[in-house]
Parts: sequence; C-alpha cells; structure tokens
Amino acid sequence: MRMRFYNNPVLSSELKIRMRGWKTALGIISYLGVMVFIAFLYYITFIQSSLAWNRSVNANQQAGISIYTMLAVLQFILILLVTPAQTAGSISSEREKQTLDLLLCTQLSSFGIIIGKLLSSMSHMLLLIVSSLPLFSIIFLFGGVTPGDMIMLFSFYIITAIAVGSIGIFFSTIFKRTVTATVVTYLTMFALGLISIILSAYLMNIYYLHGGSASYVPFPLYINPAAGLANILQNQISGGSGGILGLGTGYQTSFWIYNSITMLVIAGLLVLISIIRINPVNRLFSWKKNS
Amino acid sequence: MLVIENLVKKYGSFTAVDKLSLRLDTGDIYGFVGPNGAGKTTTMRIVATLMRATSGTVKVAGIDVAEDPMAVRGKLGYMPDFFGVYDNLKVHEYLDFYGSCYGLSVNERKKRTDELLELVELSDKKDSYVDALSRGMKQRLCLARSLMHNPELLILDEPASGMDPRARIEMKGILKALGSMGKTILISSHILPELAELCTSIGVIEKGRMVYSGRVDDLMSRLTGKTLIRIRVLSDAEKAVRLLREQPRIENITGEANMLELEYTGNEEEMSGLLRLLVTEGIPVVSFTKAEGNIEKVFMEVTKGEDEVLQ
Repeated sequence: MRMRFYNNPVLSSELKIRMRGWKTALGIISYLGVMVFIAFLYYITFIQSSLAWNRSVNANQQAGISIYTMLAVLQFILILLVTPAQTAGSISSEREKQTLDLLLCTQLSSFGIIIGKLLSSMSHMLLLIVSSLPLFSIIFLFGGVTPGDMIMLFSFYIITAIAVGSIGIFFSTIFKRTVTATVVTYLTMFALGLISIILSAYLMNIYYLHGGSASYVPFPLYINPAAGLANILQNQISGGSGGILGLGTGYQTSFWIYNSITMLVIAGLLVLISIIRINPVNRLFSWKKNS
Repeated sequence: MLVIENLVKKYGSFTAVDKLSLRLDTGDIYGFVGPNGAGKTTTMRIVATLMRATSGTVKVAGIDVAEDPMAVRGKLGYMPDFFGVYDNLKVHEYLDFYGSCYGLSVNERKKRTDELLELVELSDKKDSYVDALSRGMKQRLCLARSLMHNPELLILDEPASGMDPRARIEMKGILKALGSMGKTILISSHILPELAELCTSIGVIEKGRMVYSGRVDDLMSRLTGKTLIRIRVLSDAEKAVRLLREQPRIENITGEANMLELEYTGNEEEMSGLLRLLVTEGIPVVSFTKAEGNIEKVFMEVTKGEDEVLQ
C-alpha cells in the first residue's frame, strides 16, 4: 500500500504528539532564549562600543554583517546540537516503548515509517529555524545583508539538519537504546568533523608542496557542513569572491552547493540503509538479526 | 486460512522452531500451548511477518508471508505478548493512527473506532489518554487495534497475560464474540483451562516441536487413555453406580448426590452405548458429558521434556 507524502500517518501522529503540551513551546523558547542571550551579549560587548564612536553607514553595515555572522554560526551550532537529539531516538524509542512491532505489522512500509520519522524531526527543526527569523531580521536595521543571503543561509541550515538527522535515524535503527544511539550520533558527527579537517590539512600540505593551485579543495571538506557554512558566509561578506576560511577562491564560490549535494547524497544513503534495516523480513542484514 | 509447513527458525546453532506444521481453517480458534521458550512467540512472529523463517513455508489466506508480507499484513491482526502505547495520544486517536497505517479512509476509521471500542467495552474511555488506562484496558485496546482493518486471521500472543481474573473473563468474552463473528484465531496462553474452553483445537509445542495438535478432549484421552465422563441423574444414583460397575472399560466411579464421574477407556461409539444402556434401564439421565479433567496435569505430562513426538 502506498502512502502519500502528505498523508503519512507517522508524520501526522508525531506532529500531533509533539505539539501537544508544553514541551515544544518550551523547546522553542529555550532555543530562542539562548540565541537572544548570546546575540545580546555580543552586541553590548563588541558592537555597541564600536558604533558609539563611528555612526557612519559603513560602520552600521559592518555591525550588521558582524551580528549576522555571529548569529549564523550560533544557529549552525545549535542545529548540530539539537538535531541528533530529535532523530537519534526515532526508531530506538519505538523499540524501547515496544511499539515498533505494532507499527511494522501494519501495511505502512518501512519507507513510510523512516520518512515519517525524518520529516517529523525535520519539521520540528524547521519550526526552530523559522522561529529564529525575527531575530535574524534585526540585522536588516543595520544593513549589509540581503534577504537573498538569508534565504541561502536558511536553505543550507535545512540541508544540514537533514544530513545530521539522517545520521541520527541511521544509528537509531542500529542501537536498541536511545541513549546509545544519541551518544554515538554526536561522537560520529564530532569525529567526522575533526577527521575531515585533519585529513584536509594533510592533503593540502602535500598538494601545496607539489606546487598545486590555490583553487584546490580537499575532498574530505565536502562532507563537512562547517566548510559549507564558512563558504557561504565568506561569499556573502566578501561580495562573492568565495573561499573557505582563507582557502583559495576561483570556483569555490559554489563550494557550498557541492557540499550540500554531498551531504544530501550521504543522507539519502543512510536513509536507504535505515529503511532496509527496519524491514523485519529483509534479506540484507538478516545475519545480524539471526545472530 | 493459515498453513504452516515444516517451519524452521534457527538462531545460530540454536533451533527455536523445528519443522513445525499447522493448519487452521476459516473460523478455527486454535490454542497454542507450551512452556516458556518453546517457540510459540517465534512462530507467531513469523506468521505476523515480523521475522523471517530459516526454512519452511507459511501461507495466510493462500499468500506466502515471505513473498508478499505487505498483502499478508492486510489479512491478519497481531497482538504481541508485550507492547507499549504512545504517550499523549487519546484512545480514539490511537485507533485512528493504526487505521491510517492500514490505509483506511477517515470515515472508515471513525466507524471502525466506534464499533471496536464498543466491542472491547471502552466506548466511555474514547477521550482518555492511552497511557492512563489500566493494563486490562490497554490489552483490550491493543486487541481493538489489531482488528482495525477487519482482518480474517488474528494472532494473539498471550492476550490475557498480567490481567486480573475479572479482566481475563472480559477478554475471554470478547474472544468468544470474535469467534462467533467467524474470525480465525491463533492464540497462545499459559492459562490452559481458559484455552480449552475457548478453542476448537489445541497445539502443544515444546522445544520448537509440535508434540500434539488436535482437539482438547482427544488430547486428554490420548495421553491418559481415559475419558472423564460426568453423568447427572434425577434419581436412582445408586442403581446407576451398580449398573456402571458391571460394565467393562469403566474405572474410578465417584460422585456426590446425583452427579457421577467416571473414567472410561472406550471410544465414542461405546460411550453412546453406555448412555443408551442407562436410559434403557430406566435411569433418569439429565446430562451425560465428557469432562475436561485436569488439563494442567495433562500439559505437564505432554511437556515433561521428552523428545518423543506424540504425533
């Protein structure tokens, strides 16, 4: 039986359960509270004093860009921190609550279950991201950032959330306990981030030693969303000259697009493996269940 | 409705189900009995498409569970021995959710929810939160859930486990009602007298092997070689006892007032001859029935751990 995308029972039920009670509202308040608090501290510490002695249009724009960059990085970190907590328990918690079997013996496909879980987590993340828009819009008072910049940034956030969310879902299908799945998801993200940077530094070192050009981007960076964010921010701040945290320029203006595509491909693979894994009568991975 | 042939399930070197065969016709209520770890749940999970068999075939309404599990899921309702419920979901929302998982339309879900809540006597709890229900109510709700898509076959794994006596009686009543609706039911339980009363046939499984499959009273007489007969007479009980003592294949005649109990080793034809004799001799017989006897004793006898297969 095929479930329509907009008529996924898992998605509708999860949304209903999530939105019931104070948990979600409290989550949004806490999320925005952290952002507002840090943004306020940043403003009074760095921006207010500099604007006090220079109130030119240019100084205002610089202040806007500075706050925007700070908020963009802050929101990115929060997405990396919140998304695993949203998705790493999606399947393992069903196992813990002993509801997974009840779900699997219905005519809802494994695809429907995984996509429903991913979409419900993503919709929650989307809610957090969208609710931060008013905070970001304060930047328009200062200037220096266009709505197009903001759309690009928020699109990248959603892609990052999907990629991180799919890692969480993947581990949720592997581990029986939510705590284990969550911890392993965070550790994997941290390890991937660190390894990609160390490996990239090593590859660049070799590349430059052999007289390579400045446009070289080491391939491990393509799996690191922080590199994509750095590219977007550098593009926006420098007006399109691109680069990744001081790395070369050239074709790298669109690095974040390749970075996004790579993350989406990996996310797709992880979702596919998750779908196969939760199918109780699948032939792949059955050695695991029989052992 | 359900055909299991030479079903084998292995976990590494351990064999959980060993060449198990079973056949249920439409309307059968089949009790699956066996000690813990005998392979009842594994068999049921394979039928419910929640596990793959190592070898053998399982067909539900002619559909192979390994070939088209999705179609099989539409034909059966499964109630596991342990299950949980979602927090923050009301009783009618719970059923509605599972109804939508079976692709029922909004109107169908609404109709089925009302019908099933009435069947399991939870209509007054429609707007209560599921996690606030008692264990017995949750069991009944889970049974209603398994019926949402109106399946032909019900797989019920220990549906009355953990229930108090009242809840057990209520559950038994619901299952009897389902039986009268023509549902085919495969039910496992440790409460043997309840199964005996409810089921048309019974299967005893031990160490993954079916050691007996057939009618409950056949099992009793097959194991003990004796059938327990209960006779109630209006009067002349002493004359009846005298007469019975003179007959062959009769042992241990006991009784109080006008109720007699005896162990008989003859077949059903000879049994009817015995009744005819009593009536011809002018004994006012009110009832003449085969009693269930101590099924627990029989169960212990069957599952005492011998490798010998009775069937």
